[in-house]
Amino acid sequence: MKWWKDVMGMELRKILAYRSDFWITFLGQTFIQLMVARALWQAIFETQGVSEMQGFTLEMMGLYYLIAPIGMKILNGPNFGFLAQEIYDGTFTRYLLYPLSVFQYKTLTYLTYSLFYSLQMIILLGIYRLFISEVAFTSVDVGHLFLGLLLFIIGAIAYCMMGMMIEMIALWADNIWSLAVMLRFFTSFFGGALIPITFLPVWAQNILVWTPFPYLLSLPIRTIMGLSTFQEVTQGALILMLWTLIFMEGVKLVWKKGQFKYTGVGI
Amino acid sequence: MIEVKNLSKTFTSHVKEPGLKGSIKSLFSRELVTKDALKPVNLNIEQGEIVGLIGANGAGKTTLIKILAGIVHPTAGEAKILGYTPWERANEYRRQMALIMGQKNQVWWDLPALDSFILLKEIYQIPDAQYKYNIEFLAEILMVKDQLKTQVRKLSLGERMKIELMAALLHNPKVIFLDEPTIGLDISAQKAVRGFLRQYQKEFKPMTILTSHYMEDIKELCPRIVIIKSGEFVYDGSLSDVQKMMGDEKVLSVTTQNGVFKVSVPRQDLAKKTHELFEEHYVLDLNIQDPSIEDVIESIMKNGIGAT
Repeated sequence: MKWWKDVMGMELRKILAYRSDFWITFLGQTFIQLMVARALWQAIFETQGVSEMQGFTLEMMGLYYLIAPIGMKILNGPNFGFLAQEIYDGTFTRYLLYPLSVFQYKTLTYLTYSLFYSLQMIILLGIYRLFISEVAFTSVDVGHLFLGLLLFIIGAIAYCMMGMMIEMIALWADNIWSLAVMLRFFTSFFGGALIPITFLPVWAQNILVWTPFPYLLSLPIRTIMGLSTFQEVTQGALILMLWTLIFMEGVKLVWKKGQFKYTGVGI
Repeated sequence: MIEVKNLSKTFTSHVKEPGLKGSIKSLFSRELVTKDALKPVNLNIEQGEIVGLIGANGAGKTTLIKILAGIVHPTAGEAKILGYTPWERANEYRRQMALIMGQKNQVWWDLPALDSFILLKEIYQIPDAQYKYNIEFLAEILMVKDQLKTQVRKLSLGERMKIELMAALLHNPKVIFLDEPTIGLDISAQKAVRGFLRQYQKEFKPMTILTSHYMEDIKELCPRIVIIKSGEFVYDGSLSDVQKMMGDEKVLSVTTQNGVFKVSVPRQDLAKKTHELFEEHYVLDLNIQDPSIEDVIESIMKNGIGAT
């Protein structure tokens, strides 16, 4: 079991390997996205002449757009293409040589990134509360924060399985970059990273509950913000686990067929 | 023991006509071609044996190694290595096997080698004492002690290759596949790698298959060679016997104003051929030699065994 710890340690060392990139990713990127979103929503609130939209005040909207991009990073793990690119360039060979399950290994590396970004979320929320907007944290407490992060981690495992299943299509099609981009777009849009899904038409929201997307992003964000009930959280966690099992079976099935197609290019 | 029976591999790929027209056409219709990368081959290798696999580019050497390392599945045939079928990828097999690819990195590029080694220690469940001994032993004979804490991507090509060798051999594999381990290295690095492989083979006696385009690698390391041509084995035997196959021939190396060329001649025709050459060319220099191993192998790779 110790190799689990070492795989995660190794990935952490890779994240910390480049100093400037680390700080830009850690602080710069998130706050720039936050500032742009906040400015846009401020203009919308002013134009509409309202102080609340779909249950969100401007301050809450600011907090939402701090959590959403980091939440997306938690879901994305080492980023899209984490498996397809390695199949494409032959780096995937490395994992076939190791005496362990390639999918356990990849899930662990994925989770390392997700856990790291969860830590980032805690730190950035602290900074935001201390220096930018205390008002936004009226309904946020430590319990909700950890419950939301737990949902994000469960979601990251489900998303990792979904990503693996789709990215393994590279075993047949070589380059599936566009598929990976589409998956990311669907998750951002239907999960609520671009706009809260309560802004979507009711019929669209009713369809979305049958997909994993709202549980991947919208639910954990709302949980951290203290806007979800305990029942919604447990129900969401169970649905995510069910999706994880479905995607895991999908991964097994695709690999069962696809392993015959792997040619180990570049060797 | 490595036992290979009627192992074959066919690849299917698409071909595209050159130019923009070909690119657009290939969006709608593609011509598929199949290539027999490996025709049914048989091979047996005993523990402690090192076999040189020689062939031109695309002959099927790497395909065979990929199959035996369990990376790709064969189209047909059987293989048992230490009692395991490689492409079933049993962990027990993978713990006893190593693949070293001269053209591909296996250690992590962004981290120092020691970080990779620590992870490999856990993955291969290497006992502490063995790990410490191997790090000392391998770093010492490969002369990379000072490079172990440097980010791998900042090392020279030769140093990186040595680190790759260390990483692959930390767990003392019983089966080693070396795919062009000296490619791109300068002469002294090639010598160092060859020296290391010889010493490692002597100390740990693994079964080894080595592919290389450098005949020096083969001559120094492999008493037995397999020559592969268009996916088929055309020779499997001792290296010394290859030279004997042309024992009845001499090679004339002729220097003229237009350059140097070589002619293989049966020993009994030597005088007659020499006379002809002097009549046909303005000969500046003439050397009569026994054929080198390189000449013989090149001839076999070009023309097959019957031509030698």
